[in-house]
Amino acid sequence: MTDRYSFSLTTFSPSGKLVQIEYALNAVSQGVTSIGIKATNGVVIATEKKAASPLIDDSSLEKVANVCPNIGIVYSGMGPDFRILLTKARKAAQKYKRVYGEYPPTGILVKEVASVMQEFTQSGGVRPFGVSLLIAGHDETGPSLYQVDPSGSYWAWKASAMGKNMVNAKTFLEKRYNDDIELEDAVHTSILTLKEGFEGQMTENSIEIGVIGSAVGYTEDQKPIFRKLTPSEVKDYLANIA
Amino acid sequence: METNIIPRKGGFNFDNYKRNLFLEQKGLTLPKVTKTGTTIVGALFKDGVVLGADTRATGGSIVQDKDIIKISYIAPNIYCCGAGTAADTLFTTALISSQLELHRLTTGRQSRFNSAETMLKQLLFRHQGHIGAALILGGYDINGPVLAHIYPHGSSEHHPYITMGSGSLAAVSVLETRWTKNLERQDAIDMVKDAVEAGIFNDLGSGSNVNLVVIEKNKTESLREYSKPTPHHPKNCDYKYKRGTTAILKESIKDLVVVTDGEAMDIS
Amino acid sequence: MSPGSYNGGAVVAMIGKNCVAIASDKRFGVQMQTIGTEFSKVFPVTEKSYVGLPGLTTDTQTLQEIFRFKANMYKLREEREIEPRTLSKLVSSTLYERRWGPYFVHPLVAGLDKNNQPFICAMDLIGCITETCDFVVGGTSEENLFGICESVWEPDLEPEDLFETISQALLCSIDRDCFAGWGAVVHVITPERVITRTLKSRMD
Repeated sequence: MTDRYSFSLTTFSPSGKLVQIEYALNAVSQGVTSIGIKATNGVVIATEKKAASPLIDDSSLEKVANVCPNIGIVYSGMGPDFRILLTKARKAAQKYKRVYGEYPPTGILVKEVASVMQEFTQSGGVRPFGVSLLIAGHDETGPSLYQVDPSGSYWAWKASAMGKNMVNAKTFLEKRYNDDIELEDAVHTSILTLKEGFEGQMTENSIEIGVIGSAVGYTEDQKPIFRKLTPSEVKDYLANIA
Repeated sequence: METNIIPRKGGFNFDNYKRNLFLEQKGLTLPKVTKTGTTIVGALFKDGVVLGADTRATGGSIVQDKDIIKISYIAPNIYCCGAGTAADTLFTTALISSQLELHRLTTGRQSRFNSAETMLKQLLFRHQGHIGAALILGGYDINGPVLAHIYPHGSSEHHPYITMGSGSLAAVSVLETRWTKNLERQDAIDMVKDAVEAGIFNDLGSGSNVNLVVIEKNKTESLREYSKPTPHHPKNCDYKYKRGTTAILKESIKDLVVVTDGEAMDIS
Repeated sequence: MSPGSYNGGAVVAMIGKNCVAIASDKRFGVQMQTIGTEFSKVFPVTEKSYVGLPGLTTDTQTLQEIFRFKANMYKLREEREIEPRTLSKLVSSTLYERRWGPYFVHPLVAGLDKNNQPFICAMDLIGCITETCDFVVGGTSEENLFGICESVWEPDLEPEDLFETISQALLCSIDRDCFAGWGAVVHVITPERVITRTLKSRMD
């Protein structure tokens, strides 16, 4: 019965806008910057890991996450909202595997997550998610990178940025990106892009990087695997740049 | 029709249950399902656990599959041998391994043997023995190597060496004679291999090859076809039919389009 | 009498060199009475994968529609054809969902994957997959088929030789099974074409 009164909060304004979705995008654009770059042989996604206070134990924060062995995800915006989507995405991947005996292709998983986000723009008693996602995956069609927004719309990108420093980062990426870029270079470029708008000292503990591709590693059935770089690996990349 | 084909949320579907019950009451006997027959064995050794299984699947007295894999993956550090109704053992272990993978992703830790054991036995108990899965669960976690058997009704016990399935009577004789505390790795492998072979040769429900999985700290080794005690003897000559042997009434050929990568279309 | 032998029928699938074949009899009967002689139990799901569903005819037809629906939905959703191995997993999970009220069928899947690698498998009525690299059989002539296939099948048969082998195996088996027979149909799937032949057989 309560359903009858749980009107959708997302209603059209007379000019045809859904202001709740625009507000959600504002929440994203205030969020920490995230970068994604698709290379010829893989994908990298990266983000800043900013603790609100130096007293927080930042080893417990996790912003780049595995959905399933062949898909990784990162967000800009509200952390708690991301956790809900991550759980749903992981469950969707497992559900797919239980029916088809294999993990979902990147595009299918993206559609699944996007349809959840769309549902929250049209359902009663809920608000849209305050996050945008970058989803990196590898399947039989090769590597791919997708961005999903609070409205539930999604695009495939060669390289993308979102969050606080999106405009500058995208300009930087447009200059740096070329179609022949390899994963190793893409990781460097993603770090350089993050560095553009980085406040304070960039260390191995203040950024998170996830990679997938033929050079990264394989599952038991010889499919590329998504893996977060360890702090010491990140440190090596940073040392190469400096 | 629509209720049949729209993807469901999950869980079992009982739509045909009443119909099948009716058919049964009318005197029809329900068809046989594939059983594993099976000799499955597990044993602890000094710093690990060995699981072993034969590879025969039977439907009644027919050998349905000569090379079925009965040792299922549960987690990187936990594997499970299944005996009983083949579909039940496969789907039950697949479900629990899926749930454990989600658990690992959220906790970021290695799966515990006790989690797997508890989840399996609770699932089996919930179905009151109707899921015909008799399992030997082996793994290595922070508590070291562990081995347990789980019965279809949901009971479980930990033992240093275990055998289940129709070949267990033959296999247990080997285990009772040869198992000792702190066995060396190779001795344990040999013992489990011999125990499964005892089942293969002395139990009609078990046959073909021996598959093994050895689980140690941070290391799991899968030894498929570790022993092939019953090699297939190829035919010395063949029974090949001459082309044109079979009389044909009608022929229709559907040519398939072979897609090759060509030049990209000019879209300028 | 069991639901599996109420209508009768036989299906067999074999692997050859870069090809697969799947064949079925064409009888549709009700116990000892033959009703029709144009009822093949093998259906195409995609261009290069076929499903055989011997068993209770009502379930054969229901499942044929379910699998066609599911495979077409898969194609629309994923913008690719379902691979035979994936199809077999789909069939298996569909059957196991009805663990406590199964369809009385013994499905066989045969096809070539996207790299034209042959794939065949069989299942019991609750979805336990048996994947082999030689042959799989199902239906009321199952035991007969097992016997002759063990004898006449050999590896690396060319499409035309595979046709003779599977045809003779099926014809011999159904001649000694009164629930199956009354015509037979064979599909040989190669990377270039699918050859479908109707066989001349005893009609008694």
